[in-house]
Amino acid sequence: MGGHDAGTQHQFTGFAKYFNAWTITGRRNCVLLTYASIATIALFFKLKPKKEKAIKG
Amino acid sequence: MMLSFFDQFMSPTYLGIPLIALALVLPWTLYPTPTPRWLNSRLLTLQGWFINRFTQQIFMPINPGGHKWAVMLASLMVFLTSLNMLGLLPYTFTPTTQLSLNMGLAVPLWLATVIIGMRNQPTAALGHLLPEGTPVLLIPVLIIIETISLFIRPLALGVRLTANLTAGHLLIQLIATAAFVLLPLMPTVAILTATVLFLLTLLEVAVAMIQAYVFVLLLSLYLQEKRL
Repeated sequence: MGGHDAGTQHQFTGFAKYFNAWTITGRRNCVLLTYASIATIALFFKLKPKKEKAIKG
Repeated sequence: MMLSFFDQFMSPTYLGIPLIALALVLPWTLYPTPTPRWLNSRLLTLQGWFINRFTQQIFMPINPGGHKWAVMLASLMVFLTSLNMLGLLPYTFTPTTQLSLNMGLAVPLWLATVIIGMRNQPTAALGHLLPEGTPVLLIPVLIIIETISLFIRPLALGVRLTANLTAGHLLIQLIATAAFVLLPLMPTVAILTATVLFLLTLLEVAVAMIQAYVFVLLLSLYLQEKRL
């Protein structure tokens, strides 16, 4: 098994600096982003206006 | 009134008084309290030795910050072991066959470990929901899977104890009934069944102690993860 990586060897830039699967803060941010995305999708479908069905004569 | 095999698991009441309360208090009456004497009796010494040894074993891998859980987990172990063992006596009721009781123990204690972890080190607590080095495409999937596994923990804790105890008691009753019914018909088979019953009872004694230990061990592992 590989040893625990403190994340000091990884030099991330840009988006990967904040969202990666190596550093503890990167992993935390990925988790928070996933939860926020799920909450957003759930909220979107909950607040989406329901289309009224057209009454056929 | 026709009795079914599941009647033994019905929470007993007498004149509206739930007797499960009596069953839960009974272990407390069986253990002697430590005296202020320098040298205690043999029973008390044995009791103290066992609790100390057990607490040492459980808390060895846990940081000093988590040692405040020692009283809780040691008493939980003694409580569950006593309830499980007393339930093996004839005509007794085993409270740990009730899912409500086991969930009542598992959920608050598990939740306490989660809240403590979130409070003391929120970054690490959240970060551990994603295994290190996960490929990018698998990140959301694994986060969801880890979250589900986190929430399944108290359910597994409670159901494991309930199912093991219930299944054991049911098996004992089934095989005992079989041995009793077979005695006038096929005495040799009845003797074999009685032998199986004896071995099963020994197994259930072991299961009673092991399941209590596993319950407490898993809670200590969840605590250890939070690295207090």
